[in-house]
Order: sequence, then structure tokens, then C-alpha cells
Amino acid sequence: MRNLLTPGRIAIVLFFVVAALLPFFVDARGHLLRVAAMVLLFAAVAQSWNIVGGLANQISLGHAAFFGIGAYTSTLLYLNLGITPWLGMFAGGVLAMVAAALLSLPTFRLKGHYFALATLAFAEVMRVIANSWAGLTGGPVGLTVPFAGSQPWLFAFRSVASYYWIILALLLAICLVFHLMATGAIGYRLRAVRENEQAAEVAGVDTFRVKLIASMVSAGLTAVCGTVFAQFTFFFDPDSIFSLSGISVRMAMIAIIGGLGTLGGPIVGALFLIPLEEYANAQLSSQIAGLSQFVFGVILVAAILIQPRGLMAFWPKRNATSTTQPSGDKE
Amino acid sequence: MIQALIDGILLGGVYGVIATGLSLVFGVLGVVNFAQAEFLMLGMYVAWFAWHYFGLDPLLGSVLSFVIVFGLGYVVQRTLISQVLKAPPSAQVFLTVGLMMAIENGALMLFGSDFRSVNVPYQMAGFRVMGLFVSAPYFYAFIAAVVLSILLWLFLERTWTGRAIRAVAQDAMAATLNGVDTNRTYGIAFGLGVALTAFGGAVILPYITVSPTVGQQFVVLMFTVVVLGGLGSVTGALVGGVVVGIVQSVSALFFPIQLQNFFLFIIFIAVLALRPQGLIKGA
Amino acid sequence: MTGDTILEADRIRVVFGGLTAVDEVSFTLRQGEIVGLIGPNGAGKTTLFNSLVGLQKLTSGQVRLMGQIVSGQRPHRLARLGMTKTFQNAALFPDMTVLENVMTAALLRSDLKQARMKAAQVLERLDLSPIADADVTDLTFPQKALVEMARALATEPKIVLLDEVMAALTPTEMDEVMGVIRSLRSEGLTFLVVEHHMRAIMSLSERLIAINFGRLIVDGAPAEVAAHPTVIEAYLGHGAAGESNHA
Repeated sequence: MRNLLTPGRIAIVLFFVVAALLPFFVDARGHLLRVAAMVLLFAAVAQSWNIVGGLANQISLGHAAFFGIGAYTSTLLYLNLGITPWLGMFAGGVLAMVAAALLSLPTFRLKGHYFALATLAFAEVMRVIANSWAGLTGGPVGLTVPFAGSQPWLFAFRSVASYYWIILALLLAICLVFHLMATGAIGYRLRAVRENEQAAEVAGVDTFRVKLIASMVSAGLTAVCGTVFAQFTFFFDPDSIFSLSGISVRMAMIAIIGGLGTLGGPIVGALFLIPLEEYANAQLSSQIAGLSQFVFGVILVAAILIQPRGLMAFWPKRNATSTTQPSGDKE
Repeated sequence: MIQALIDGILLGGVYGVIATGLSLVFGVLGVVNFAQAEFLMLGMYVAWFAWHYFGLDPLLGSVLSFVIVFGLGYVVQRTLISQVLKAPPSAQVFLTVGLMMAIENGALMLFGSDFRSVNVPYQMAGFRVMGLFVSAPYFYAFIAAVVLSILLWLFLERTWTGRAIRAVAQDAMAATLNGVDTNRTYGIAFGLGVALTAFGGAVILPYITVSPTVGQQFVVLMFTVVVLGGLGSVTGALVGGVVVGIVQSVSALFFPIQLQNFFLFIIFIAVLALRPQGLIKGA
Repeated sequence: MTGDTILEADRIRVVFGGLTAVDEVSFTLRQGEIVGLIGPNGAGKTTLFNSLVGLQKLTSGQVRLMGQIVSGQRPHRLARLGMTKTFQNAALFPDMTVLENVMTAALLRSDLKQARMKAAQVLERLDLSPIADADVTDLTFPQKALVEMARALATEPKIVLLDEVMAALTPTEMDEVMGVIRSLRSEGLTFLVVEHHMRAIMSLSERLIAINFGRLIVDGAPAEVAAHPTVIEAYLGHGAAGESNHA
């Protein structure tokens, strides 16, 4: 395994080391650590999306559905049955996986645009249901996650640093899943499906099953991120958690701008976009509503025009023959 | 019930025109324009300002909307969309999504988030026909939609440009060989597509209030209509529009308002699952 | 050299819209046969291939692989059962290397490590080892066709449908490939071959099936088929083009 220490790998390991040490150098009650935690959380969500958007090349514009399912499941289980969000997290994940499986049946045969459309519609349905089924979800008012001091077994901590490290661990785990999928047998199969579905079938790849697995894994992980988000931010409502531009597009954008289909892409994308948004919000948004989203829209358009393959494409092209590294840009 | 049917048809006609724009863009350029609903919003604002400052009735203002948005659309296509026509679907999807975000929030910044509506003399009026009430604004909007559809049909069938658009939609390469400037044609088709949607938005101003986010209510509706009628089919979009209009009206009799959209989604997904002709890969 | 029945095409019909692309075609292939499928362009050969491997839905008729009805099943299942095909324009996976392309097919029956080894073996067999690490986009057309064949072989098939593997090959290369096909046949593989090079297909096949307008014209020994009046008529005007380069 001579290729273990490629520059890309070193950078990623370095990133995790630095990230792990960050709370020691920064005011734990300060704004910066919160922002850093959000960066990591959105990197995690984007990486989950990357599994289906990057490895399987199924552009989903409805992942907010799974994000919201995660948040609502764990929070409702906690509020109504007292179940700890640590377990609720898994329940949310399973529910999301089931939803993804059901959604796959009618949508997998669809061409790229229509698939995006169908997923978008699904997230919208979730939003509408959450808004109207007030008896279950609390309706448009949203849900508040109660906080009664430090209760680690209930996923409640006093310091931001605790949440930060949990989120970092989550990101690490998701990156590992991504890496294993990208470099394992399923990685080859997904690449084949992505590049020529008919040829893949004829070569023995069960294209439907492979896409289904990617879809379910991605959905489950996204839901887990949703739970963590709920626990970290303490409040969410249907319009924000099932939001097309705020969640679905954001996570896709992060993955794409950073580099679709690459391991480091979501991390780079999040490091770039989230602080940018924070800055814009801090400086301008209070006066002008919509500015940050406008800027996002413009950035997205500009990014696509400049480099459809994402920021990661500016890295030296990976040696295509090494099979122990994550798949490169595949567009 | 018949009342609901009438309302549904009248509303549906307009939905049809709105969705036809989307269908046209897809049929000719092959791009699913996620920003389409934002042009609807722009059309509404143009007509609103025309009414507010010049007293122009939205039915006439809609022509202004059509023209202005056409120009805007043409420019957008030539500068932005054209760059991704040969790019992978993800690039196309995100370009139009980014455009959607930019336009919607741009409008938010320029116009503020207040809801604005018009006040026209016939707003609350209507006609009694055989014991049924036909709302005037619905009716006039429907007539306008019908007129535009006929004009569109004439344009596509009888004019050289219209035929060029249809030729490019079928086979761009062959069209080029026949002397068609495909770049210009794409620009015109896109401009036309978004202008149609803008027109549709303007004529319904008497009964829909405008705000920067008004597009969102129509996104799924538009896409449902187009999917029902078959992406790329203009007549399909018109028929689909009427069907959706009817479903919406009739379901309003039995279900609360939030769930109306839910039913549209069910139809949408059902169509995708059961009758996906033209939507399946490789087909 | 022939054994049990491997493939049976039973009155296959494929109709698209108003066009009948394949019209009641029936034939049988026995194990170890090399059968050529000939017909002018547009005769329905590729559609027939696609209907055999499951890429194309049959309007009516049946496909049976070793006695088992497989029509209507997805191609990957047929690959698992032992039938695969190559594509006319070498449908390789563009962002992978030659080895990776073949590995992906080998994954059907092995895990990742073994797949790599098996893929290397197949490449060796087709004399493609020197380009194992090349990006497929850098290959010449004949090379792509051979990699395509390697990928088909990596699924460890019992029967392979070859769609114009030898187009644009030099005579020496053609002889090599024919040699490989023959040696694979002696190991028990069966081949259904579409090829426009008349010389190649006549020398390779022990039986020819001729089709035109989707219909079976004649099915028999090469000399007999070549002399068949309808076959000659089908190629009249196409004849000269059929013999020369079809790159």
C-alpha cells in the first residue's frame, strides 16, 4: 500500500487533527466555536449527500426530507416517550432508510433532471405534512428541544465543545463510510452505473440494488445529522428543516463546489461556504433580508460556470491507477 | 361540484399556459429550469408596477410582462444557460437552482417582503350562468390564456422562427444543417418559455397577491402539470393544466387547503411511477 | 464439438411503435458452437442481441438459457447465469482504467482482491497487459473493442454475444482474436458473433444465421447461406461495402 500517504490523504488527516484541537485554542463560549461546529455539521451532511450525489450520480434536491425525518423522529420520541436522542437517532436513521427505499422504486428509472424533481417534490410533501399535521409535529410553530442542564445520556451538554467533538466524530464516521464505499467493490459498481448503466448491467452489476444501497445509506446518515442538528440548535420548524434552499440545495452546493464525488470535497466546500454565509449574515443580513441567499445563488451560478467539477479539481489530478484512494471527480 | 369544475377549468387554463413555458424550455433546450417559477414572480411584479404607476390593467400589463421577461430570458439564456447546455445534468440543475435563489432573493432585496395586490373594478364581479357563478377575474385570465395559446400555436406552426424552434427541439444538428442559428433559437425559445410563464403570472394578479416568494407555490404545480402532459409537449401542458386545475378545485371541497398541494404531489409521484414515458433513461 | 443446448431464441418479436424490428426469429445454439449472425445494416442484429441479454423488452416470444426461461429478466441476472454481450461502439466506463473496467465485471463472481487478479489474467489472455493501467479514453478503437471483450470474458460466461469486435482490426490482429475465440471455444464457451468482415465470419463460424428486416432468412452452413439467393440480394449494393472497412 505505497499510496497510503498521498498529499490528499495527508491534508485530510491534518484537517481532523487540527479540528480536534481547535476547542483548546478558542473560547468555548464564543461564537467562533459554534460556527466551526456548524461547518463540521454541514460538511457531514454534505458528505452524506455526496454518497448518492457523487458516487452514484443521482442528484437529489430533497435530502432535507431525511434531515427533517431525523430531527423530528428523535425529538418526538424524546418529547412524547422520553427516549434518549442517542437511540432516537437510530430510529430516525432507520425511518429515513425506509423512506429512501420506498422512494427509489418509482424514481430510479428517471433521468437526472426528473429524479431531482421527484426528490424535491418529496421534501416538499414532508414540509407540507409537518406543517399541517400539527397534532403530531407541533405544526408550523416547530419543536423545541428541552434543555435542563448537562445530561450526556440525553444528548444535552453544557459546553459547545462537547457538541463540537461529537459532530467532529460524526463527520469522521461519515467520511469513513464514504471512503469504504468509494474504494470497495460497491465503489466500482457505483462508478460503472454512473458512467454507463447499460454496460454495467451487462457486466453483471445489479444496478438497482447498488443505487438502492447508496440511497439508503445516504438517507440514514443524513437523518442522523438531522438529530444532531436538532440537539445542537434546540429548535426547528417545518419550513426551516425541510427547506429546499436552506438545506437541500445547501448540502448539495457544498459537496459540488468542494468537489463532487471526492472525499475532501464536502469538507472544503463547507469550510468555504459556511463562514462566508456567517460573514454575510453578520455584516449585512440584518439590514437587507435575503442578501446572503442571494449571494449564495450568485456563487452557485458562478461556480458552475467557472468550474463544473468543483474546487477540488484544482488539486493535482489523482493517479487513476491507484485503487486504494477515493474516486476522483466523475463528471 | 359543477361550480368547482368550472373554477377548476378556468384556473387550469392559466396553469396550462404557465406550465407550457416550462415544457417549451425543456422540449427545446433539454434543461429542466428550476428557476421558471421565479420568472412568474417577475412577470407579476412587472404587471403590478404597471398597474401601480400607470393604472394599467393587469390583463394589458401582462403583455408588458411578456415582452420584458422575454428580453430578460433571452439574455439569461445567451449568457448563462448556453454555457451548460453540454454540461452534465448536475451542472444544469444547479445552475438553474442558483438562478432561482438569486432571482428570488434579489427580488426580496429590491421589493421587500410585503405582499402586494391589485385593485381592479371587476375583481369581485362575476356572471351568473345557469345558476353557477363564474368569477370575472378567473374568466378574463382564462380568456387571455386561451388567446395566448392560440397565438403560440400560430407562431410555432406558421412562422419561420417557430418552425425553427420545433426543428431544433427535434434534432439540433439537422436544424443547423438547414441554416438555423441554434444559439439564437435557443435564446428565443428560452425567452419565449419564461415569457409565457410570466404572462400567466400577470393575468392572475387580480386574484393572487404577489411577493418575492410567490413562485414557490407554483413550482410543484407547474412541474406536476408538465409531468402529466409530458415534458416537451405544449398541448400536453395545456391539457395537464386543466386537469390539475380541476383536481385542485375539487379537492378543495373535501380537504383543507394545505393538503391540496399534497394531492398534487401524489399525482406527480404516481405519474412518474406509473406512466413515465419520456422520463425513463434512454427512452 | 457441440454439446447441450445453451441458448434458445423462440419466436422473438420486438415491436417499437409501428416498426417491427425483430420478427419471429427462432434459433438454437449448442454449447461450443461459434455461430455468425449476418445481415445488412438495420437488419435488426443489435436489437436481437439486446433482446437476448435483457436490455430490450420482448413484445412476444421467449429466450431460454440452458433450458431456463430468461426473457424479461434484467441483464445482470443473465450475466450471472452466463450470458453477456459486447456493445457495438465499445461501451467502456470512461473514467476508469482498462484494468478497472475489467475488474468491475469480475466482481460478479469474486471479491475485490480476486477480481483484480482475474481481470489481470483475462487481459493477459488477450495480450492487453501492456495497457492495463491506461485510461480507456486514450485507447484506439480496436483496443477498446478488445477491452470490451475482456470485460465480457471477466464475467466468466458460458455464452458471449460479440457485436463487431473485429471492426478496424488489422488482418494480423483479426487472426489473433479469432485464435482466442477458438481457444475459448475449446474450453467450452459458445459464441454468437456479428461481424461485417465476411472473410472473418466465414472462417470463424461453423454456422451462419442470416437476417434481414428483422426476419430470419436462413440458418445453416456458411457456404450454403452465402449462396442463398435472398442473402445475396440483401447484400446487393451493400456487398462491396460489407466487405471493406467498417470502422
